[in-house]
Amino acid sequence: MSEKVLTKRFEISGYRGTIEEYLATGGYQAIPRALKEYSPESLIDLVRRSGLRGRGGAGFPTGVKWGFVPKDPTLTKYLVCNADESEPGTFKDRDLITRDPHQLLEGIILASYAIGCRTAYIYLRGEFVAGAVIMEQAIQDAAAHGFLGNNILGSGFNLKVHLHRGAGAYICGEETALLESLEGKRGLPRLKPPFPASAGLYRLPTVVNNVETLCNLPHIVLRGAEWFSSIGSPKSTGNRIFSVSGHVRRPGNYELPMDVPMRELIFQHAGGMRGDRRLKAVIPGGSSVPVLTEQHLDTRMDFESLAKAGSMAGSGGVMVMDDSTCMVRAGEIVARFYHHESCGQCTQCREGTAWLHKTLRRIEAGRGRKVDMDLLMDICDNMKGKTICPLSDAAAMPIESYLKYFGDEFEQHIVERACPFGSGGGS
Amino acid sequence: MRDASTISLTIDSRPTMVPQGTTLLDAARSLRIAIPTLCQVPSLPAQPGCRVCLVQVAQDGAVHLRTACSTPVTEGMEVLTEAEEAVNARTFVLEMLLADHPVDCLPEERGGRCELHALAKRHHLFSGSRFARQRAPFPIDDSHPLIRMDLNRCILCRRCVRACGEIQGHHVLGIAERGDRSVVIADDGKPLGESTCVSCGECVAYCPTGALAEKGPAWNEEVGAHQAITTICPYCGCGCQLDLHVKDGQVVTVGSNFDGPANRGSLCAKGRFGFQFIHSPDRLTMPLILEGSGFREATWEEALDLVAAGLREIAARHGADAIGVAASAKATNEENYLLQKLARAVLGTNNVDHCARLCHAPTGTALLSAFGSPAGTNSFADLEEAEALLVVGSNTTEQHPIAALPMKRLVARGVPLIVIDPRRIELARLATVHLAIRPGTDLAVLNGMAHVILEEGLWDRTFVQDRTEGFEAMQETARRYPPEVAASIAGIDPELLRRAARLYATRRPASIYYTMGVTQHTSGHQTVLALANLALLTGNLGKPGAGINPLRGQNNVQGACDMGALPDALPGYQSLDDPNVRERFESVWGRPVPKRPGLALTQILGRERQGAIRGLYLVGENALLAEPDMTETEAVLRSLDLLVVQDLFLTETARLAHVVLPAASFAEKDGTFTNTERRVQRIRKAVEPPGQAMADWQIVCALSRRLGTPMMYGHPGEIMAEIARLVPIYGGISYDRLESVSLQWPCPHRDHPGTPVLYANRFPRGRGRFHPVEWLPPDEVPDSDFPFVLTTGRTLFQYHTGTMSRRSDGLHLLEPEPYIEVNPIDADRLGAREGQKVAVVTRRGQIVAKTRVEAGTPPGVIFTTFHFSEAPANRLTNPALDPVALIPEFKVCAARLEPLNG
Amino acid sequence: MKEETVQQILSRYAHRRSALLPLLHLCQEEAGYVTPEAIGQLGERLGLSPTQVAEVATFYDMFRLKPGGRREIWVCHNLSCSLLGAEEVVRRLEERLGVKAGETTPDGAFTLRRFECLAACEIAPVIQVGPDYYGPVRPEDIDALLERLRNG
Repeated sequence: MSEKVLTKRFEISGYRGTIEEYLATGGYQAIPRALKEYSPESLIDLVRRSGLRGRGGAGFPTGVKWGFVPKDPTLTKYLVCNADESEPGTFKDRDLITRDPHQLLEGIILASYAIGCRTAYIYLRGEFVAGAVIMEQAIQDAAAHGFLGNNILGSGFNLKVHLHRGAGAYICGEETALLESLEGKRGLPRLKPPFPASAGLYRLPTVVNNVETLCNLPHIVLRGAEWFSSIGSPKSTGNRIFSVSGHVRRPGNYELPMDVPMRELIFQHAGGMRGDRRLKAVIPGGSSVPVLTEQHLDTRMDFESLAKAGSMAGSGGVMVMDDSTCMVRAGEIVARFYHHESCGQCTQCREGTAWLHKTLRRIEAGRGRKVDMDLLMDICDNMKGKTICPLSDAAAMPIESYLKYFGDEFEQHIVERACPFGSGGGS
Repeated sequence: MRDASTISLTIDSRPTMVPQGTTLLDAARSLRIAIPTLCQVPSLPAQPGCRVCLVQVAQDGAVHLRTACSTPVTEGMEVLTEAEEAVNARTFVLEMLLADHPVDCLPEERGGRCELHALAKRHHLFSGSRFARQRAPFPIDDSHPLIRMDLNRCILCRRCVRACGEIQGHHVLGIAERGDRSVVIADDGKPLGESTCVSCGECVAYCPTGALAEKGPAWNEEVGAHQAITTICPYCGCGCQLDLHVKDGQVVTVGSNFDGPANRGSLCAKGRFGFQFIHSPDRLTMPLILEGSGFREATWEEALDLVAAGLREIAARHGADAIGVAASAKATNEENYLLQKLARAVLGTNNVDHCARLCHAPTGTALLSAFGSPAGTNSFADLEEAEALLVVGSNTTEQHPIAALPMKRLVARGVPLIVIDPRRIELARLATVHLAIRPGTDLAVLNGMAHVILEEGLWDRTFVQDRTEGFEAMQETARRYPPEVAASIAGIDPELLRRAARLYATRRPASIYYTMGVTQHTSGHQTVLALANLALLTGNLGKPGAGINPLRGQNNVQGACDMGALPDALPGYQSLDDPNVRERFESVWGRPVPKRPGLALTQILGRERQGAIRGLYLVGENALLAEPDMTETEAVLRSLDLLVVQDLFLTETARLAHVVLPAASFAEKDGTFTNTERRVQRIRKAVEPPGQAMADWQIVCALSRRLGTPMMYGHPGEIMAEIARLVPIYGGISYDRLESVSLQWPCPHRDHPGTPVLYANRFPRGRGRFHPVEWLPPDEVPDSDFPFVLTTGRTLFQYHTGTMSRRSDGLHLLEPEPYIEVNPIDADRLGAREGQKVAVVTRRGQIVAKTRVEAGTPPGVIFTTFHFSEAPANRLTNPALDPVALIPEFKVCAARLEPLNG
Repeated sequence: MKEETVQQILSRYAHRRSALLPLLHLCQEEAGYVTPEAIGQLGERLGLSPTQVAEVATFYDMFRLKPGGRREIWVCHNLSCSLLGAEEVVRRLEERLGVKAGETTPDGAFTLRRFECLAACEIAPVIQVGPDYYGPVRPEDIDALLERLRNG
């Protein structure tokens, strides 16, 4: 068995994540250590050496991202924790926030110290109503214990952390849309460059890091870059929390080395298929990544292996489907989601997501036409790589993959003028 | 030669070099390669949502699709604008947009304006879209009197939203919802006609598909070939360039002209929608002669003979100085030049003036005294460089909406704005500091600011030492206005006054803008001097972003002054007393120039000197409504032996005339206007005048022939050539130059580029002069019988005495009737409800209008406008004059309110 | 809105516009929805036009611009929940409440809403009401759940 790091405290019976409990289990020890032993530059270097990559979806190396922030001490810099977890099938950040909020705060303090930030924001998904209460309390408690505020632990380092609630918009998980939202605007992704590291919140240098990414930091500081990089594969280091859901016996969050094989994750940790049905499809990294099938079960879950298999590691949300699943219906649900969430800025995405949804709904309802499969492919093709942000790609890629692996099923719907699974679609 | 800031690349295999920072779109345009766009607004940063400008870019072995509007060029790029992949991507976008767009738009060559259809045609998409309509049809929003909103045509390009918010600063249009539910809204989803829309029509100018369009002929109707004639707006002094679209000899619409140097395409409601007066059935088409109790139509021969004979008779009996000529701030420079030449060289009198007397006479007298030149110092464009802005007595967003645009952009950038104005006007709401002073106390406040600046050592010692004189005397006076004293006179918080002074003095450059809240007082001249003192004290002169800038009220009030339509100066503000000047004019005119300064308009029409003038030739001026104390004005006009009125309409004044001459409007003649930035711009004939109406310059020439001293010109360009010979500040101005550019005077010779910023190195009088100025209360202050201060002004949708704006249907619908603004507290106390009729009474008369309860008007103050003849504000106003500038005190008189039943 | 709370929220940001989402949440908590008056007041407070406030309020799913039920029942209908019967849960709720998803019960007690992934797929199909998550929910659990919510 591999060692749990991020979720280690979850296993302590009765652990509720209060500051007292956190302190009693070795929490906040990375802060005095970092303040004493590391300059901001050497902390950035430590994280770079650890190989830590962003856990939000894109997998960008965290230390490298930090390194892009200008060193000019007169510039105000911001750290924004992206806690807008909304990628369908992903529910790890919610757990990290509600069950161990101080681990996240400790990570935020370390990252802020590294980039020279004095005001950090946690952009929390609006729907996390309980999480907001817990996080707000944690911020107050951390301040009361001197981990936040002025002159933290006598180091001269000052930091304020504010919780900022979103209000229901998936697109705000995209970092520039998140910054727009934090500025009190509609969550429209920005044109890049400039990237947030040079012009982010209020056009000032800003680092946006995911919850899980930040939670790793105290452990890297305490145990070292070498320890961290020894876990997983050479390019995908450390543990990651996989959120497994769908037709498995034990859906839930599983913290495992990044390169755990898919088969082990599903059949060992998540307990295998419900009712011992046959596995039909796996979405390995949240609903926006291409689907994989039984033939890919021996693929490892790290960034490189999944890319090689034609999919992506994404957010770590693993959705498992058995042979009772209608893939046209699955496509309709996924398309409905992106249709609902497109910000509407770019024509291809605004109109394309609507047309994908509409066309899939038509096929699922038995009203599909022969040309519809070509139409779907053409829409997908025109949505990829042509817009300001990747939501358009995220909508197109899964549908393309469903057509690729389950084209027969689509055809069957069209020919038989009905869903062979009898699901017939929904709203 | 090339330097590091030049980038070389190829576009469609054609090599080119462009400056760093150029976008692919602009680089392609410079090669005349047209990349399609839908969402682009050239003056704003790219927000490339429409995605139709995708092009293929190869660099360092990688090939990508990029939006041309947002991608800066980099060295060695190879761009293919028509690469298959790019064209396919573009076609897909168009196909998607066409799915929800009605198909009844016409292609360009049949008069259609739909950019989407033009692009569809270019991409061979007329067979239609593979995608069926998916949006439910929107009902057409017809609630706005001027603009139709048909969201079925909307392609969500957001140009209207950006025009409304980022260009005009209104933020009335926006996008609600998201994704394909996105929809353009006004306010929080109100019908446009019920929203806070101010009808500037900027959205209409930018909408590519007619979703927002001016009402009138249906947008997609086949209108045939339009001719667009570029000219200048006839309303306020901003000098906005616009295009008159002409079809079948009629102006059918006004279009934005994005090359306009003062307005860059932006217009306000008046400029865009106030053109219908041109073709009003009320236009005068024939000369009229008073016979018995009514007018009869006459020939030009008969009418002009009658006028000439009448003038000759008066001159013979009473001398030339018994004749007055009122020139017009609405007429061209050339016409004003001819009118003063008529007075001086033909009739032999200096009795020539115009309505600047009623608006900015103190600007002329005071700035001449302080600097040696009577005009605003800077330009709208350089206002963008200001670090602080002081606006005094100017409701800029309503009176000079286009001048307000750079101001609002400054505020959006965080530059502090100080507003001195009794009313909480829109600018006051945007201001960092608003000094809501009692009307008529500006001078005390400005002296108080000078006091703070001196006391706190915030003044520019070098500038004062090197470039000014009279400092000590000014300092002496300013000492007597500590903030507590000044603030108690003005009824404001002394701390606010201090803050205002500090902001103005410490952020440099700082610019001053002002209008009639400063000038229309018995202390108008002194107050402008106080503003000049502040600018001199802080060295805010002679550089971009600084200066002291009056906003002129009429399209050509600056030009009418420049042309010498003033009783005490020859064209170009040249002295009547200077023998050299006189000699030059006499040699060109071939006639002696009278020496004695003439009477001002307010003296000609005032009771005090009634009888001195027996004959008056009044051009383009509705004096009866515009002058103070209408009862007095009417008596004077009725007592004249000969009153000749030359106008577009039978105005209230024209009804009192013996002879009425029909004049051509701005759209019917060539000429030049000079705007408030001293910018000389061409106006161009777009349509024929109605009936026998003629341009003012032609009428003056015809009259001069009958008076025995013929003035002969074939075209206004010839008049400008004469002006250039005689007026040094216009010395380099000619029609051939004005064809392609505008020129800001002084422009002394043909190679001179004009002068955007005055006094960079020296003042025309040498050193800038400080003036010690003392505050005096207004001539008439409230008492127990007349407890309110009545102040008058304009509103956004009407103009002056309403002769033009009230004959333009759209504007009339937006502000159809007179109103009296009353503070809620006063309204409550007097029992006046919103909409209730109320009488305003002063020592001179009374008017009746509906109450408008307005929290922005301070307690104890009432406000009304002078646009409406049925409730003429100038029946109420006080004719007391500023002793130097001879301007009446329109801004303050004592009044009482009497609510009426009903 | 308590002035003290507003001030406290404003103090978190270098630019006051950032307070818009928190203040919209506050207005909604107090009035049950974002009222037209609130749109005007927030605009005035933050230097925004009513349009700018409305643009933002309508962008986000959680803000309601019309009155709704005292409690909102959110049923996740995204993939993981659908795989395990979310549609049946929605149907049962619609049946028991007598309204369609998106509507409010006549007594004003509940607004039923379909929601995208609520990030609780480990207990799919999931229902969220305020801070509380319920799942896995089976159609036969609905009556008891509604009973609890009515009494709670």
